[in-house]
Amino acid sequence: MNQLAKDTQSKQIAAARLGIGGPVGSGKTAMVERLIPVLMARGIDIAVITNDLVTAEDAERVRRSGLIDPARVSAVEAGACPHTVIREDPTLNIEAADELERRFPGVELILIESGGDNLASTFSRDLTDFWMFVIDVAGGDDIPRKRGPGVIRSDLLVINKTDLAPHVGVNLPKMHEEALKVREGRPVLLTNCRKGEGIDAVVDLIEREVLFRR
Amino acid sequence: MFDLSQTLALLQFGDSAYPAGGFAFSWGIEGLLADGFVPSRGALEALIAEHLTFRWASFDRVLLGRAFRAESLEEITEIDRLTEALTLTLQMREGSRRAGKALIGVASKLGGTRAHAYRQHMSGDATLGHLTVVQGLVYRDFGVTLPAAELLSGWTLVTGLVSAATRLGAIGHIEAQASLATAREVLADLLLAPVPADAEPQSFTPLIDIAVARGPARQVRMFAT
Repeated sequence: MNQLAKDTQSKQIAAARLGIGGPVGSGKTAMVERLIPVLMARGIDIAVITNDLVTAEDAERVRRSGLIDPARVSAVEAGACPHTVIREDPTLNIEAADELERRFPGVELILIESGGDNLASTFSRDLTDFWMFVIDVAGGDDIPRKRGPGVIRSDLLVINKTDLAPHVGVNLPKMHEEALKVREGRPVLLTNCRKGEGIDAVVDLIEREVLFRR
Repeated sequence: MFDLSQTLALLQFGDSAYPAGGFAFSWGIEGLLADGFVPSRGALEALIAEHLTFRWASFDRVLLGRAFRAESLEEITEIDRLTEALTLTLQMREGSRRAGKALIGVASKLGGTRAHAYRQHMSGDATLGHLTVVQGLVYRDFGVTLPAAELLSGWTLVTGLVSAATRLGAIGHIEAQASLATAREVLADLLLAPVPADAEPQSFTPLIDIAVARGPARQVRMFAT
């Protein structure tokens, strides 16, 4: 048998992969920026991948934030297909995550931020172990009722920008209740990423459901 | 009568839906369009013909054949290093490696023994994993013949270019099919000419190389190349 047929032991994939999706402007990058310091403060070794739609702006924003070693942030271009790069063909994201694991042995959690998309956006289970979908109150309180796959099938639904609710005529308790109803009781958390409100609850859930720490 | 098994393999691996990251690479089309070099369907077809004739047929196809026939990791590594050395621009090298790593990652997970072994072998070396080398390796793993592997390589390049042009709004969906038909003829002519036994890889696509090299300097960019 030639040398090519020899198998070698592959390195075990150690890091959990957490997808963050949601519509344009719902606060996905702000969520990443809020999660990074809390995760790091809790001793969790992390890296980040962003899927910007037309520029590397999100990746640069996270790199320049001072929150994380810029080398731990990778940008993956989506070729104008934000759905495809996280669902039908997530290979480039998988390779980017594998590469981060190779470069940073011991990384425990890789955050994969999707490009801004619509309510039909979902993550491949081959890419992520857990994914959250971020919507915001300013997008309208009817979003949960529209029952898009992102709202229904995500492991965690986050309703962000709660502080804006009174300014955009949204009944937040009702929106929360409807979200829980369409998701049949699966997690729905409220955040205000601008002020960091609700982030600890998101990280608690990540520690419990993704890292099995709590 | 065509070989049914080979044909079905070609349909699967040549499908634009085959998950190997191809949708994220425009191989210069995005930059050329932004700079006004793709004003019409005819201009796009000329660019595709340039890609096929002056790079794919004389460079990628030669290296693919060598990788297909290689019997050891050392041989493949050498071909990969040659590809790295002969690829002019950093952006083209990076794009080729990223596309190659996506393809070999899928093939490895699908049970390709050669793909798995080479993926492990190259993991510590960032300069390895070029697309054309990986295609030769992977398509042999998949059980297709060398001529079929060459066809797959050329055709996936064509569909990637046309798909990128469509998503960038350069052409419509009907024009895309017409461009594919035109490119089919160019590719068929190239495939009918065998690769000489002593062929050395060579390419000359300065416009495309410059367009890819300028990618990172562009404010708005959707594609990896």
